[in-house]
Amino acid sequence: MFKNALALFASLLATLIALPALAADDIAALLKRADGYRLLEESVRIETLVESYRGDTLDKERRYTVYIKPGRRSLVLMKSPAEAGQKVLMLGDQFWLLMPDTQRPLRITATQKLLGDASTGDIANMTWSDDYDGKVVDEVDIKGRRCLHLDLSAARPGVTYARIGLYLDKASKLPIKADLYVHSGKRAKEAWYEAKTVDGQLRVMSMTLLDDIQAGRRTVVRYQSIVALAAPDEFFNPAALVRNTLAGW
Amino acid sequence: MKRILIGALFALPALTAMAGDFTASLSIAPEWRTDNRDSAYFVAPPVVPVQHRSARQDLGLRFRDGGFNAQGTLRVLAREGQTPEQHGIVNQFYYDGDLGNGSGYTFGRKVISWGVGFGFRPLDVIQREDRRSLNPPPLTGVPLAAWEHFSADKAFTLVWTHPGHRHEATDFRDQSLAARYYRLVDGNDIHAVARLSGRHALEAGAGITHTSGEEWAFHAAALYQQRYSKTFNTLAESGGGILAAANPMQEVMRRNGLKAVLGSQWTGTSGFGVLVEAWYDAEGYSRNEWRRLDALTARQRSLNGMAPASAINGNVAWSSRAFERPNLLRENLLLRLSHDDERWKPALELLVTPRDGGRVITTRLEYQSDRQRVSFGLRFLGGAADSAYAQAPIKRMAYFEWRLALL
Repeated sequence: MFKNALALFASLLATLIALPALAADDIAALLKRADGYRLLEESVRIETLVESYRGDTLDKERRYTVYIKPGRRSLVLMKSPAEAGQKVLMLGDQFWLLMPDTQRPLRITATQKLLGDASTGDIANMTWSDDYDGKVVDEVDIKGRRCLHLDLSAARPGVTYARIGLYLDKASKLPIKADLYVHSGKRAKEAWYEAKTVDGQLRVMSMTLLDDIQAGRRTVVRYQSIVALAAPDEFFNPAALVRNTLAGW
Repeated sequence: MKRILIGALFALPALTAMAGDFTASLSIAPEWRTDNRDSAYFVAPPVVPVQHRSARQDLGLRFRDGGFNAQGTLRVLAREGQTPEQHGIVNQFYYDGDLGNGSGYTFGRKVISWGVGFGFRPLDVIQREDRRSLNPPPLTGVPLAAWEHFSADKAFTLVWTHPGHRHEATDFRDQSLAARYYRLVDGNDIHAVARLSGRHALEAGAGITHTSGEEWAFHAAALYQQRYSKTFNTLAESGGGILAAANPMQEVMRRNGLKAVLGSQWTGTSGFGVLVEAWYDAEGYSRNEWRRLDALTARQRSLNGMAPASAINGNVAWSSRAFERPNLLRENLLLRLSHDDERWKPALELLVTPRDGGRVITTRLEYQSDRQRVSFGLRFLGGAADSAYAQAPIKRMAYFEWRLALL
């Protein structure tokens, strides 16, 4: 009896000691490792397919080509017929939208940047380490994996989600799941990350978003190809959106 | 033309096999108008043709391969009481070439929109788009040669529009040399434009767009025009005779004009948006200019039975051309409420002309699916009885548009 109580006490003590150690751990380094499963290089071109489901029925598909560069710069080209020619440019906290019929980049606010069921942030932001800060709050088991539970808060304005509850595989730091909270404090979506081995490396190749606000809505974001590629800086100039077709890039 | 349209539709599958990006869309857009028979400016047919109903059917084609861009429209335009017209329109046809180091050139017909603003864009010195049209067709570009340079946060454009033209009678064929400088400074879009032309001499202006937090955006722009145009009824302005034998509506070029816009937009996470905008357009009429035209029209109407009806109606019909300007008055206020939930986009707009108490209410509803877009809108003109909008010969307008992305 005494031995069991002692073992329990020791276990609790170890957890109490370990958690502050994890909290004190460099959270940025932890997020960098998690980011590495989503974005292998800092400058990339990603071909993305977004499938929106109502229940089990595929409601619509959207295709995007996304260019990402360091400095929180992203350029999203919309490829589906309903949106063909539209572009969204993100420079840090600033957003511009180009509609093909207007030939004029339109300055938009962060709340105007939604792209249907998946937000621009869901598609164009592939990292957490630049945008979020936080701490490890506990450990939980998710689908048989021991996971670190990180409570992350936005470190800068303009990010899509104000707070994220992120769950990383304890051993590998692979992202497993995230609870995504909007600025009102309400949980908007639950994200599940699916990883596959590609070219000998484990990579997150799709993300499933379960909508809390619109029940029964599910969005699957599939990263069909991720190519290391540094598009020229001038392509990320708002005034150049009209001109740049990014042909050959 | 019908054969061309059908032929083009059948040719679409073959065109998709071409290299480059090819898109095509089909749109059908009927429009309805209701007369304002209480207006002193209303003139019944046949002096002013009735166009209560019209319909625009467009096959829009767009092709892009490398720097080559082409956009065209095959249009059938049907108006009440008229034989349907067929048009082949080259909206854009240009080549964007690359000179390296962030520089490039453009030759051809291209849409160039430099404006800042929603209801009015003073800096649109090249495109001069009418932003108050209820359901405008796709823009048609201007012939130009341009050189552009881009860096990460700056851009400079030099444009020669309508090269070789010497026609200065309208803005649409006015040869000009224009420049635009853009810079992103601390998250603010700074624009500066200048244009030299035979018609307007020097035009120069600047604008800024600023976002604050995640929900607010502010914009402002102003343009100085060394010369600007107004179309006046010479009888109203000179105080001379009452009836003219020839069109008395004459364009007058004036000096030192100003166009300016100031606005703010709030967009919430729920998708609701509110836009408030005020603008001044020196090319619109002042309240006194409308009063003089109203007084002339009243004098002309008072001649009923004393002068030939054709002379009275003809003169009033000439004066009614004053309603063709995008901004009827110089001072305008716009309030726009909208909601965007991706598929459904309702909007309600209220345009007010505070100098005379006029107002225009516009409602729109748009539905967008994967390949189809359906939109519907209503516009009501009214306000104080002696305001310009209340006296417009058109009282109500409605449109419907169905658009299908074919490829």
